[in-house]
Amino acid sequence: MPIQPTVSFTDERLANGLRLIISVDRLAPVVAVNLWYNVGSKHEVKGKTGFAHLFEHVMFQGSRNVGKAEHMALVQAAGGTLNGSTWLDRTNYYETLPSHQAELALWLEADRMGTLLDALSQENLDNQREVVKNEKRWSYDNRPYGSWYEKLQGHLYPPEHPYHHTTIGSMEDLDAASVEDVSAFFRTWYPPNNAVLTVVGDVDPDAIRRWANQYFGGIPANPSIPKLGDLSLPPTLGEERRETVHDKVPLPRVYVGFRAPAFGDPRLDALDIAAQILAGGKGSRLHRRLVRDERTAQDVALVPLGFVGGASIVAGWATVRPGVSVEGVEAALHEELERLGREPITDDELARARALIETEELGGLSRVEERADRLSMYATLFDDPDLINRMLPRYLSVSVEQIRSVAAEVFRPDNRVVLTYLPELPPADTAAATEDDTSRVEASAESPEPAEDEEVAA
Amino acid sequence: MTDTEVRVVPTRPTPGTPRPYDFPEVQRSRLANGLSLIVANLPGRPLVSASLVLRNGAGDEPDGDAGATVLAARALTEGTERYDAIALVEAAERLGAAIHSDAGWDAMSVGVEVPASRLEPALELLAEVALHPTFPESEVDRLRDERLNDLLQAEADPRRRADEAYAATIYSGGSPYRRPSGGTKETVERLDPALLRTAYQRGLDPARATVIVGGDLSGIDLPAITERLFGSWGAPFGAGPTGLIVAEGAVRDRFVRVLHRPGSVQTEIRIGHIGLPRRIPDFHALSVMGAILGGLFNSRLNTKLREEKGYTYGAGAGFDLRRGAGPFAARAAVNTEVTAPAILDILAELDRIRDAPVTDAELKAARDFLVGVFPLRFETPGPVVGALAGLVIHDLPDDELARYRPAIEAVTADAVQAAARDHIHPDATAIVLVGDADAFAADLEAANLGRLVIERDTGPQDEGRDEGVQEALGPVDEGSGGPTEDSREPEPAGSPEPARSQEPVADDDRTGDAPG
Repeated sequence: MPIQPTVSFTDERLANGLRLIISVDRLAPVVAVNLWYNVGSKHEVKGKTGFAHLFEHVMFQGSRNVGKAEHMALVQAAGGTLNGSTWLDRTNYYETLPSHQAELALWLEADRMGTLLDALSQENLDNQREVVKNEKRWSYDNRPYGSWYEKLQGHLYPPEHPYHHTTIGSMEDLDAASVEDVSAFFRTWYPPNNAVLTVVGDVDPDAIRRWANQYFGGIPANPSIPKLGDLSLPPTLGEERRETVHDKVPLPRVYVGFRAPAFGDPRLDALDIAAQILAGGKGSRLHRRLVRDERTAQDVALVPLGFVGGASIVAGWATVRPGVSVEGVEAALHEELERLGREPITDDELARARALIETEELGGLSRVEERADRLSMYATLFDDPDLINRMLPRYLSVSVEQIRSVAAEVFRPDNRVVLTYLPELPPADTAAATEDDTSRVEASAESPEPAEDEEVAA
Repeated sequence: MTDTEVRVVPTRPTPGTPRPYDFPEVQRSRLANGLSLIVANLPGRPLVSASLVLRNGAGDEPDGDAGATVLAARALTEGTERYDAIALVEAAERLGAAIHSDAGWDAMSVGVEVPASRLEPALELLAEVALHPTFPESEVDRLRDERLNDLLQAEADPRRRADEAYAATIYSGGSPYRRPSGGTKETVERLDPALLRTAYQRGLDPARATVIVGGDLSGIDLPAITERLFGSWGAPFGAGPTGLIVAEGAVRDRFVRVLHRPGSVQTEIRIGHIGLPRRIPDFHALSVMGAILGGLFNSRLNTKLREEKGYTYGAGAGFDLRRGAGPFAARAAVNTEVTAPAILDILAELDRIRDAPVTDAELKAARDFLVGVFPLRFETPGPVVGALAGLVIHDLPDDELARYRPAIEAVTADAVQAAARDHIHPDATAIVLVGDADAFAADLEAANLGRLVIERDTGPQDEGRDEGVQEALGPVDEGSGGPTEDSREPEPAGSPEPARSQEPVADDDRTGDAPG
């Protein structure tokens, strides 16, 4: 019998358009405060890539009543944790605190939503520009295989599409960002009517409402938030795109990427389950075949990445064992993916995938921080926070035929990008290699992709 | 640039009244064969976490068998008397569960997270894995080869290279901590089912093992289930109490060791020396000191190197507290050009935390953080079980977790300074770097940091170069992370995630953490 945790919440708007979602949970004396702004790297314009994320760093540099980095200091001294993140479709900011400190987080978020520009300085912008450039080096440029995601995104979306470039952006564009850019971005994208504020935890909802009005109520809306143009794309790439990269890596690795249905499309639910069956853990098809039985791969992965604008990505890889044919591993990878589009999965495979997804959902919803983030996400991207309660039933209702059908649509040779990473050649061989491999020169020099990190002192 | 039409409230709110909080109550019992059971009933938490902890870690194994314990733990799920590996994983998946078996320096564990309604069958699988493994030769061969490949991959990753070289530099040859817990190429190559079985049996003593379960356990009779599944677990295989772990430092003065990585756009910096074991009288003062020096976002190191200088995405420091003395390290990855000035800034902070008392504001912020974040940490069953496992592993008293917050609140500025003076030694520190030596060697010479060794050879005889850390850097997240090791996720190389604003520190440094 499925276990379906139900999240109850209220959903309202302040007069200035700020959407406020409150969900009470008294199990633990904690509260999560979470803000999603409906702006991401897809809103960046040519020559300004990486700006939405740089801006997010500036949001921690102080506002009218808060000093530089004091946001972190106040939250941590209150016994809380915090962070922010930027992605293609959105930017979020969040604090988790002992529940009696909820008001502090609301006050801090309101002060920067209203008055960030009061504290903006060239010095702080320059400092965070250097920090972000070091983030890019740390997360992508100085890592083995670190360039793969930027390459994949570049191949899967055409140059004129806003998903063509990554969230971390380019060094040149980061260098070009000015104080005026920060001001304009703030005034355009950071008004209350472009945000969702979610509070989850051991709180009195009336107090949260009162504080939200008191702190956020005096921040004016932006009546003319620009609309992005049509981001729709042909469902498939229309061709196979291939690139070989020589990098400082000991083992070859084959990356594959496909255009997939947009986030919110039920076909992406089916693709999530397909990815679980193909590469989710040791019981999965790819792990069994390539890692356990044939022993040609060191590891395998397949990850759907949901985006709302036109098409999502499903990306995967296999790291090739020493002395094994790279082409053979690639062929086996394609064969397993394409087989899913031809032959129905077994009932047992579906039952196992469902059980694992159920546990995963139960784990995710057990933390106030995750619950708040999902409520904000579904409200921001789909105007439908109740999706938090309907996703598990959606997953559990996916049929064998729906999985076969979406696999057949997505896992096609004319819809895929293949990136092959090979160890760098000895110096004597590089001249020969460069002739048929144009990507070699940039391979280790430039390699951005969305970053990951952990919260402070956690 | 003031927006006059914007009204915000200048007055900072004051906190409300804290709701009382205590670490969850636990029931402790013991089976006739000596197996301990710790149960934390957490109403409203239907996803249950369960773990069997065997006090037998990589720190307990002979030098020549290095890596056997970690590999043995991973092999537990590769075949048992009743199931082959595939039947086992499928049986677990039908319950919506995955059985994790792993070992770190201090202990081996077999754990599972599963909805409460399916706990009993999941525990049956856990017991089968823990008590009846068969170590099939073919699967052991595969795991061994995967570990050897992982060691190859580690060489290309500057972070892992820096961590491994650092450990190999600060410990003397007699210390297990000198090597990665997963073993080195030389030792892993010779591992076979017999050596794995020996490593496993070393800890196979019910009297030194503990089952820990947390979650909503209403209506579940865990003592009875445990008796049924583990009651017949008989005498140990000649296993005795594990001995003391040798942890000797090898750093007598200040010196720089550079592993040359041509073309690196950043330098990975590790600075420090041998640290401390978990069981020390000044643990709480050390925790507060660690938070101020390099644990909080506004720690002295992060403030200086990131928020003032922009040298790094994040700088930090801390003690990795183990059964024996784990390492102390300050760490950062900085852009290549600022390598020497960044090192000087770090060294200056190591001096300053010793030379003068911390300010009242720093002391209060650090204490309030550690006290306040405690209930956040234990919101769900997994961390509760993990913290209880820590008590078992380190022989800490039952009331250690209840005592934590008052003990932190009682830490004084004098105690913080004493902890810094006693345990941080800037004059006897190793400075280990992985980066482009051609770009900064002259700066290092000029900075007069002590003797400078630059290693350009990447040959296998180069110490520390061919070793790996316990965390697998694999894209498939199924490796490390028993309750005894740090909780850092394996880092998929460039796994696509949203870009975040904060820094990458605070990974394996545990002094900012709650105990356990």
